[in-house]
Amino acid sequence: MDPFAAIEPRNSDRTASQSRFINMKLDTSGLESTAPHFGTSCELFSGFSAAPSFDLPVTTDFDGFQKESIQMVKPAKGTTTLAFIFKEGVMVAADSRASMGGYISSQSVKKIIEINPYMLGTMAGGAADCQFWHRNLGIKCRLHELANKRRISVTGASKLLANILYSYRGMGLSVGTMIAGWDETGPGLYYVDSEGGRLKGTRFSVGSGSPYAYGVLDSGYLISYNTCIRYKYDLSVEEAAELARRSIYHATFRDGASGGVASVYHVGPNGWKKLSGDDVGELYYQYNPVSTSTVEQEMAESSST
Amino acid sequence: MEIQRADKCVMASSGFQADVKALQKQLAARHLIYQHQHNKQVSCPAMAQLLSNTLYYKRFFPYYSFNVLGGLDNEGKGCVYTYDAVGSYERVGYSSQGSGSTLIMPFLDNQLKSPSPLLLPAQDAVTPLSESEAVDLVKTCFASATERDIYTGDKLEIVVLNKEGLHREYMELRKD
Amino acid sequence: MSNSTVDVPLQGGFSFDLCRRNDMLSKKGVNPPSYRKTGTTIVGLIFQDGVILGADTRATEGPIVCDKNCEKIHYMAPNIYCCGAGTAADTEAVTDMVSSQLQLHRYHTGRESRVVTALTLLKKHLFNYQGYVQAALVLGGVDCTGPHLHTIYPHGSTDTLPFATMGSGSLAAMAMFESKYKEGLTKDEGISLVVEAICSGIFNDLGSGSNVDVCVITKGHKEYLRNHLLPNPRTYISSKGYSFPKKTEVLLTKITPLKEKVEIIEAGEAMEE
Repeated sequence: MDPFAAIEPRNSDRTASQSRFINMKLDTSGLESTAPHFGTSCELFSGFSAAPSFDLPVTTDFDGFQKESIQMVKPAKGTTTLAFIFKEGVMVAADSRASMGGYISSQSVKKIIEINPYMLGTMAGGAADCQFWHRNLGIKCRLHELANKRRISVTGASKLLANILYSYRGMGLSVGTMIAGWDETGPGLYYVDSEGGRLKGTRFSVGSGSPYAYGVLDSGYLISYNTCIRYKYDLSVEEAAELARRSIYHATFRDGASGGVASVYHVGPNGWKKLSGDDVGELYYQYNPVSTSTVEQEMAESSST
Repeated sequence: MEIQRADKCVMASSGFQADVKALQKQLAARHLIYQHQHNKQVSCPAMAQLLSNTLYYKRFFPYYSFNVLGGLDNEGKGCVYTYDAVGSYERVGYSSQGSGSTLIMPFLDNQLKSPSPLLLPAQDAVTPLSESEAVDLVKTCFASATERDIYTGDKLEIVVLNKEGLHREYMELRKD
Repeated sequence: MSNSTVDVPLQGGFSFDLCRRNDMLSKKGVNPPSYRKTGTTIVGLIFQDGVILGADTRATEGPIVCDKNCEKIHYMAPNIYCCGAGTAADTEAVTDMVSSQLQLHRYHTGRESRVVTALTLLKKHLFNYQGYVQAALVLGGVDCTGPHLHTIYPHGSTDTLPFATMGSGSLAAMAMFESKYKEGLTKDEGISLVVEAICSGIFNDLGSGSNVDVCVITKGHKEYLRNHLLPNPRTYISSKGYSFPKKTEVLLTKITPLKEKVEIIEAGEAMEE
């Protein structure tokens, strides 16, 4: 069944880098078509129904080629995403802008990817890379569920993703993601990136707007600065949602590459739920209600007298 | 620009002609096999994801093509999917791709700014236009884009897809 | 000794230091600002009574058309005109400069300018700048020695031809000339051939477009036919038109009269005339 089971053994006498690339096979076990094929397998179909594999360009200078082709498809850049663990679960939030240089290519990107009802992933870096590998992770998690009669842990899921990304290391993938979810051990949060990194933590922010988001997040999340830093763990869902929303809002305010809609998700014991989605333009007026400031009032009064 | 269709699914592509042709041929073949195996047409959302995967399988040697997919979803509502060259896709209210997209998009944003699908409470994203108004808008977009974009021109093909079926319209554009 | 040679101001010759600096910068990834280029079709031919020049009217900046109806046939002297292709600023500046030199020369000599004079001035300037003044020109005129047509390349080389084309659409235009040009064309035949050549550039070359300008120069007379042909009208205009209703919302209006807050002191004396 597995068409890549027959990967040719590493041929030691083939040393030319050229042939290495042509014969390079990657971990595509998640890409196999899982639908059953009826009837005998037919030569005609094999090109379509067999597991698709990634075409690699026939070139000796793969890295140089990569650089050029990355330029060609310019991945969506500029993002603010964040997630943190608190008393009632995990709060996940993101903006929704995709930009290519100075051009905003979309204001409605779904940067929080719903992997399954108990797990969310966030998107930063290449949009296609994140979208595809999260979809792929969703498949793998479901297969794990069917095989083991229990849901996969967040730890396990994030490791699956990290392993895949590590196997493609250096090939130009661009992913910076957080896997947030609820499993048997409670809330879980991991940061995974395309360089192979995988970190467990209680709060993360990823993307070009992350410094701004961290600023707000940390000031609301850490209870005090003069005593030892303690997590303000026991936020209510509303407080946590507001903290997440504000963090995203302030990041979009300062970071030109972030914007659009600030979406906030909460993952609790019963799965995730979308709490809010607000246009950051509207949020500005929510956070800065229009009212005559004191100085202006004074001036208005003095002029009227 | 190039338009290809399944029953309830039309796709328009711009970019490198040979890649576009190869991509559309691949999709047509997958669609045919699907029809033989399941004895039904591929739904538009399914086609959307198939296109995304097809593009992503060439992640390291991408198809130089920029696509918009339009059609009717499982509920019979109109849907538009927009793509980048390596398969990230998104369902939107309207979209434009290719060299003239930077000219057309701002105009569409102004004329039919649909509420973001991410908003909560959700707002209906269907653009409130009649068919004739919509076609009129498309023609204006292209006539205007042709004025200023050197790569857009010659002729316009419009495909209108609704529950009654599908019909095409053509319009001449500037030829210079 | 070595110091003194450096300090002596340069005498004559040209400094290409900035060109090397620019090369270095662009290699390091600093891109100079883009400038308006006229991806162009310009042509000229000699007919029985004089010279006809023709040009399209599109100016582009990358893939975007930045002027749909620009003028590419420049005035040099009452009896000499010049079509320009390349960077718009360069063609305009170089033709203006030479045109004023010709005017001064006319004042000095009291005679009609000759085409070769213009040609020499142009090629001298372009050669001095070694191709960095990006102007490709078709120069035409009628003087006391008869009709003349020349092409000038950015590096300063020149040609003298009975029919000539320049710019990105030059191949398309030349195809028409090569197949249909003959000696001793009448004025109408000449104009229609020029129009045909420009149209071939307009329709087959992406950098050329919009309308056709023609300039006919005969002995003691010239005819500048601006927008002689408009082959590319707008193809569609919506019947109902469009409105752009959304304005920036007015949230607060407040008028602070400044006059009451300021004490105005009359200036002591009015300014002297």
